[in-house]
Amino acid sequence: MNNPSHSLSYDDVVRTLDDLPSLPAVVMELLNSIDQDDVDISVLAKKVSYDQALTAKTLRLANSSLYGLQVKVTTIQQAITYLGFQSTRNLITAAAVTGCFAEGHCPGFDHKAFWRHSIATAACAKVLARHMRFNQDYAFTAGLLHDIGRLVLVSCFPNHYAETIAYREQHDCYLLEAERAVMGVDHVDAGLALAEHWNFSDTMRLAIGGHHDPEAPGAGFLAAIIHVADAIVHALDLAQVQDDLVPPVSTVAWTALGLDEEIYLQIFRETELQYEEISMVLLS
Amino acid sequence: MTGNYHQLTLAEVRPGMVLSDVLLDVQGHVLLPQGTVLTDAMLALMPRHGIAVLPILKEEVTPEILAATQQHHQARIAQLFRKNDPDSDSDWATATLRRFVTDFRLGAEETPEHE
Repeated sequence: MNNPSHSLSYDDVVRTLDDLPSLPAVVMELLNSIDQDDVDISVLAKKVSYDQALTAKTLRLANSSLYGLQVKVTTIQQAITYLGFQSTRNLITAAAVTGCFAEGHCPGFDHKAFWRHSIATAACAKVLARHMRFNQDYAFTAGLLHDIGRLVLVSCFPNHYAETIAYREQHDCYLLEAERAVMGVDHVDAGLALAEHWNFSDTMRLAIGGHHDPEAPGAGFLAAIIHVADAIVHALDLAQVQDDLVPPVSTVAWTALGLDEEIYLQIFRETELQYEEISMVLLS
Repeated sequence: MTGNYHQLTLAEVRPGMVLSDVLLDVQGHVLLPQGTVLTDAMLALMPRHGIAVLPILKEEVTPEILAATQQHHQARIAQLFRKNDPDSDSDWATATLRRFVTDFRLGAEETPEHE
């Protein structure tokens, strides 16, 4: 099955998903409820606080300058009081997902760089969303998870992925092209499969599925935000990958955002600033 | 800790200057390590941490160093955008992003404004 010489199908990916580590139950619950407003917050807060490592990371994020709180929050319940339920849920998700996948099974795959890129995209998407008056919490979470399919492929098919990385270096193409050429599936397919498996909301699914193709009918505005955020983060070199490439920016997505240069320069500055801080917490 | 430093107020500190010592906030938490090359972004964050004075390495940023840094940025941007043709009509959005990032890195006619 894990023989690099033959390509994979979507069903191959789906079949391996059960082997993946699962997220803490409470995080699954949070992810699944992102579109709901009638969640019993106090019960969730209690459940999260049983997981000490998760709580500690979440509180460090809540106390970072990302939110500029005047007080230091010391419990999940307090974080919800000051930041609101949506934002706190985001932080819990971020803290949980970044620790979920084991590293080091696939030669050549830079796990740290992957998360640097994802965190930077989350930060940038949140800033973009604020300027667009779009839901910042959706944007943050979608930015963080947009490439999660890559981790699925790396974890389930490490030999295939090592070959994909070699192919990319040889041809100096986009990683997405290398995935399709070597594996027959790409990280967008795998991300969608995982989104299904983990019961992500439709909003997240559309954003994960559309971040390379925001022009597709029904991709939605969030896909456009993630698409542009992804390109900005590559262009700002935040993941610090030597042979990184800026993906082609969709003119439709760029036009849909309709921001001018002054705003973009401000967004670049804010993104760098927030990225520094969030990555210090999540990658330490 | 190096001996060759001076304390500068936030207004005097410019991006590109180097911290001569570790920078702590009022609670004593480490904000930035010794040797950090300060950026606009970092400096903008200082008031929020209650920092008005910074220990700066005396070695001045010479025009040569500045030119070298700018050249480095330009080369890196060209490498990152190596699949983009800046004059292409169809790929104009990528080209626009490239122009904005170049202006951002090289600080083209831009005065730092803080809201």
